Amino acid sequence: MNSIPALTLENVASLDGILGDFLKKADADLTVVIDRGGNVISQFGDISVMDVTIIAALAAGSFAATKELARRIGEVEFNALYHQGNGSHIFMNSVDDDTIMITIFGKRTTVGLVRFYSAATAQAVSQLLKSLDPSAGHGFTFDASDVTAGPVFADR
Amino acid sequence: MSIINYASREIQFKIVYYGPALCGKTTNLAYIHERISPANRGDLVSLATAADRTLFFDFLPLNAVVIKGFVTKFQLYTVPGQVIYNATRQLVLRSVDGVVFVADSQWEKMEENVESFRNLEENLAQQNISIDEIPYVLQYNKRDLANIAPVNYLEFLLNNRKKRVQSFEVISSTGQNVFASLNAVSQMLLHKFSKGDGVPAAAPPPVAAPVEPSAPKIATTSQL
Repeated sequence: MNSIPALTLENVASLDGILGDFLKKADADLTVVIDRGGNVISQFGDISVMDVTIIAALAAGSFAATKELARRIGEVEFNALYHQGNGSHIFMNSVDDDTIMITIFGKRTTVGLVRFYSAATAQAVSQLLKSLDPSAGHGFTFDASDVTAGPVFADR
Repeated sequence: MSIINYASREIQFKIVYYGPALCGKTTNLAYIHERISPANRGDLVSLATAADRTLFFDFLPLNAVVIKGFVTKFQLYTVPGQVIYNATRQLVLRSVDGVVFVADSQWEKMEENVESFRNLEENLAQQNISIDEIPYVLQYNKRDLANIAPVNYLEFLLNNRKKRVQSFEVISSTGQNVFASLNAVSQMLLHKFSKGDGVPAAAPPPVAAPVEPSAPKIATTSQL
């Protein structure tokens, strides 16, 4: 599995550029790039009304859960999933073997438009993530005393 | 797989609560959710059946200490303990950074504990991770029940490897040592992340020495 140890300011700016352009063209509300373990790699759009972390965890699970269904009809996996609501919808598509892109959109646009622009966006995101050098390490060091000073989590 | 984001100044970690069915994994997360400051946690998401058995996973996002201006974000997951859900356990283990193995202390659960630990090793191996490389702690849960095995027997079964790890006597329903074990595994993976060279050498010892009992023979994890 590709390791993504660190996203630099430049990486995030590039990702934001790609995702921002996609949101504008597709007229969607929010897009989130996650790894298949459910970790958020990048996000762009209106995140004020939802917990992106939880959406990422559930979307990763939803994507993986349909893999067996895909196998039953001779596919390795479904490249894209669409959950249709009354006013808000979710479209998920595979970026690469390790990464998924989630798009949340409403009545201003259509699933066809989102699907159309998400293909090129996924390709651009995949290329950018591939260009990261996992062997470079995360470049973030700190002293043990920074974390042993007290409990990480406090019981009220 | 921890992810560090220099733009949002966040570091993400994933901790998975693993163990046999009905051992108390969800109870751990429910206690943590109840007791941690709402400012530092998200919603507890539970995908359970009507009978409150975990079907997919439970999920709890937490914010923790700030290190050099970076917020550490921990994502706590449980796996479904029932044997048939192994594919789901493999999914939840993807990109894992640390594990809390929850063992059920009741005598009749010993084989299930060992089987679940072996299953954890196998599923980590599928991701090319050795159990000895990943930060993990052991919980001996349900210490308040009457028919429980002594701690040194649990140590013999589950913590008898070359590298012994921290273990805790836990009563997850009352919260005894729930935070202690979460803090221990969090410290371990923060140390690993800070140095890139594994867990700190000065980690406190397990709760007891492993002792082979005269009780029924069960294959230990070191023999697997």
